[in-house]
Amino acid sequence: MAQDWKDYEPVLLPNIPDIHKIDVYMENGGYETIKNVLESDEWTPEKVTNEVKAANLKGRGGAGFNAGLKWSFMPEPDGGPRYLAANGDESEPGTFKDRKIFEYNPHQFIEGALIASYAMTIDVVHVYIRGEYKSWIDMFQKAVDDAYEKGFLGKNIFGSGHSVDMYVTSGAGAYICGEETGMMESLEGKRGYPRTKPPFPAQKGLWGRPTTINNIETLTNVPLIIKNGSDWFKNIGPDDHPGPILYGISGHVNKPGVYELPSGMPIKTLIEEVADGIRGGKKFKALIPGGASTPVLRADMCEGVTMNADSLREAGTLMGTAGMVVMDEDTDMVEVLWRITHFFHHESCGQCTPCREGTGWLEKLLLKIREGRGEVKDLDLLLDLTTQMEGRTICALADAAAWPVRNTINRFRDEFEQRCKKTAHALA
Amino acid sequence: MSEIFIDGKRYEFEGKPKLLQFMLDHGLEVPFFCYHPSMSIPANCRQCMVKLGQYQKDRETGEYELDDDGERQIRWFPKMMTSCSTTMSDGMVVQTQETSEEAARAQKDTLEFILINHPLDCPICDQAGECPLQIQTYKYGPEGSRFEVQKVHKPKRVQLGPRVTLDAERCINCTRCVRFADEISKSHQLTIVSRGDKNYPATSPDETFDDPYSLNTVDICPVGALTSTDFRFKARVWEMNQTPSIDITNGKGCSVDFWTRDNLILRITPRHNPEINDYWMPDAGRDAYKLFNENRVSRPDLKLDGDNQTKTSWNNAIQTFAEVLEAHKPEEVLVIGSPHASVEENYILQKFFNVFGVSDTNFVPHIVPDAGDGFLLTDDQAPNTNGCRLLKLQEQSDAVLQQALSSGDYKVVVLLNDDLIGRDVLNSDAFDAPFVISLATNNTATTKASDLVIPITCIAEHAASYVNIDGRIQRSYPAKETKYTNRRLNLEMSEGRLDRFGTNFDNWVTEDNKVDCLPAWEFFSRLADRMGIELEFENSRDILIEINETVPAFKDVTYERIDEEYGVQLPLNQEEVKQA
Repeated sequence: MAQDWKDYEPVLLPNIPDIHKIDVYMENGGYETIKNVLESDEWTPEKVTNEVKAANLKGRGGAGFNAGLKWSFMPEPDGGPRYLAANGDESEPGTFKDRKIFEYNPHQFIEGALIASYAMTIDVVHVYIRGEYKSWIDMFQKAVDDAYEKGFLGKNIFGSGHSVDMYVTSGAGAYICGEETGMMESLEGKRGYPRTKPPFPAQKGLWGRPTTINNIETLTNVPLIIKNGSDWFKNIGPDDHPGPILYGISGHVNKPGVYELPSGMPIKTLIEEVADGIRGGKKFKALIPGGASTPVLRADMCEGVTMNADSLREAGTLMGTAGMVVMDEDTDMVEVLWRITHFFHHESCGQCTPCREGTGWLEKLLLKIREGRGEVKDLDLLLDLTTQMEGRTICALADAAAWPVRNTINRFRDEFEQRCKKTAHALA
Repeated sequence: MSEIFIDGKRYEFEGKPKLLQFMLDHGLEVPFFCYHPSMSIPANCRQCMVKLGQYQKDRETGEYELDDDGERQIRWFPKMMTSCSTTMSDGMVVQTQETSEEAARAQKDTLEFILINHPLDCPICDQAGECPLQIQTYKYGPEGSRFEVQKVHKPKRVQLGPRVTLDAERCINCTRCVRFADEISKSHQLTIVSRGDKNYPATSPDETFDDPYSLNTVDICPVGALTSTDFRFKARVWEMNQTPSIDITNGKGCSVDFWTRDNLILRITPRHNPEINDYWMPDAGRDAYKLFNENRVSRPDLKLDGDNQTKTSWNNAIQTFAEVLEAHKPEEVLVIGSPHASVEENYILQKFFNVFGVSDTNFVPHIVPDAGDGFLLTDDQAPNTNGCRLLKLQEQSDAVLQQALSSGDYKVVVLLNDDLIGRDVLNSDAFDAPFVISLATNNTATTKASDLVIPITCIAEHAASYVNIDGRIQRSYPAKETKYTNRRLNLEMSEGRLDRFGTNFDNWVTEDNKVDCLPAWEFFSRLADRMGIELEFENSRDILIEINETVPAFKDVTYERIDEEYGVQLPLNQEEVKQA
């Protein structure tokens, strides 16, 4: 895999000029898959769901849950409304892949959403896009308008009797509205407070009705699976986490950007070859592999590790959104960790006590260390606080805030202690 | 029947109760803040965490799986669970802070978090003494604080509305107030603004929290964040004594508590009564405390000439009353009871004049159309309209009463505590001709126009019963002393810390707040004695016993029964109640 990555033909963001235009997309086989699914008797909703389940398409929003399995949790239709909510709120620092889809291949996502809504007998799709993506919201809205004009959205698509309406909703700048139940509250026009589970969205989601929530990239994979079959999909990358991945590489590399490559790429290859190595020929120091909340890896921990769920778990971290933040030897880990805690402090919705108060306390302690007033006992207090926060809240934001603190301190303990000892010296 | 094991003890249950409520119902204690039995469960304070497990059952046989030692196998949940939001299931195993170190630790951790940004101002905080955060910190909290950095600062002394003041720094964001405005009063006037540790409750810009039930948020606030603008800084909780009573400002008759210090009622709060008002009461009812303290009739008033009244002695008042009655025939006496007075007061009035020879005792309901809201406010502005009806007092309209007075047939009017002139039933000149005797608690336009005013005890000074709009009879307890009662001799009166440990020489003790008045039954007993009429009641308890023996609607109703239950439902048959 690593050898022939240069030969890989991208399928999520294909190298076809102007594919974002509906005519170009249609010339290249666009909307043929949904047409085929709707028109042939062979493609029952169950068969579509089973095909996606068999492909082992892992959710690309961070949690990595089998998408087809998630679809199968929807209860039998009872005549009432059911919803598909597509999550385009990508707010995790280091993650910027979905906006490429909105910009370069929006129709493949729309087609994927259509197939998903057929599979789950859904006729309303809500697409939630973060408010900061103003330009991308406009671009995507244009794609939706075009699809309506051609009759791919709206009533009685391809004369099949299947109707789907798609609504685009803009967020207003809150990370927590990317959490699936927080997003549902926001879609309902409420404050983005995550809901307690159970009930799960498939039982009681938007407006109390069965709802499935999928990531934008996840749904963009769906037409490919139905068109080429689950076996084709499973052959891309390792078995535990197959398919094409949009790697968002940022940080101290020469060529940062979103790269579509098979799952399971070696970290080393991604940094040194795909992103053209560390800026200024510096040494590689650390990597956050899947967005700010995933545990950081030291350079030595990245040896032989590939970007797929199993390999990363063995290395002591998570796949997340594959938003890789690369750091060179000059990086100050105290500064990095303070910046991450600042983010989670700012973004905690404030509903649950441990997260509301804990995120603030974490940041204030790191601020103290960063300003040179830290003591070694503060490090132990920080670690203590992470255990007091983890697993004690309604949603996973407290976990997301606690993991980086615990792992960055544990994996760069010397650097943190050094900073604190300077204080002790200065105080003496 | 399902079973659950809490701290090693087996309990049976049916249905799908929530774990926290089940434990509270069974006298088990778990600390909590955001949970309220009458509102939705947000599980946001994360305080009521317990260790939760499930005995494993064989899927096919439904029997518990046993390990090699014959013990049941427990599968523990990986995380601590909030008991408030946990739905109980058969074979569930629960360890609270009593038996699980982990649960105790989790609760302590959450309390530590709650306290880091909470100001340490208990010594000047109104909530101190009745503060769930204070109490639970004593019981379950950490010994000290590890928080050595700057606390978050938020708005203080925010006037959320005309009656509620917010100190956002004390707020622990339990959202009880927001949920109250959304789910109970449905005014939707409150929300949480801002994010994370900066958030606090607020109204929309330019909106004011003028919900007619706004002060309930002060009661349910688990800290001192929301305080009553009127009551704040007036008294420490432990200095007051708490006496159960009834809201007398409308027909619903919410169950309330009177809070007294040195014979002044300082505040009124709702008392839980699932049959009437649940945990709530309207703001208007809380304002009634002023009626009990201010503008009271103290010592009888006698009109000598013109409009001038002068204070007179009880002996002279009784003598005058007796002489006026003796000088007139019973047909010349108009007796008016009152929906604002208790069952016992109306009964003694009716009975006294029956013996004297007056057949009918009248009353005029106090209705303000559209004042009700279908919740706890009613069109009926009086607490005992149905009590008058059940005692078979004659229900009169404004016009009929006005006409009766202007007919000139009546030379004497005896009126029980009802401001008929003030509430526009009668014109101010209606009392010009007859000799008017008012038995009243407060000075009003009506007492001013009366020839003789007899001061009687108000609901805060006597034990008496009232029948609400739905026919439920409840009763009051004496909460403040009169000139002639003594808290230490009256076993029904509650004693606060000051009453119990203070002496008459303490500087907070004054005699000024004691009103010179008598219960109506005591006054009529004395009057009967003077006039040689057979009528002797020592207290209201005996009156109700006589009522339950003689008036069918009150059959078997006693103070004991009212106290044991949430009041007693009387048969409120429209046929029976409506007077022909």
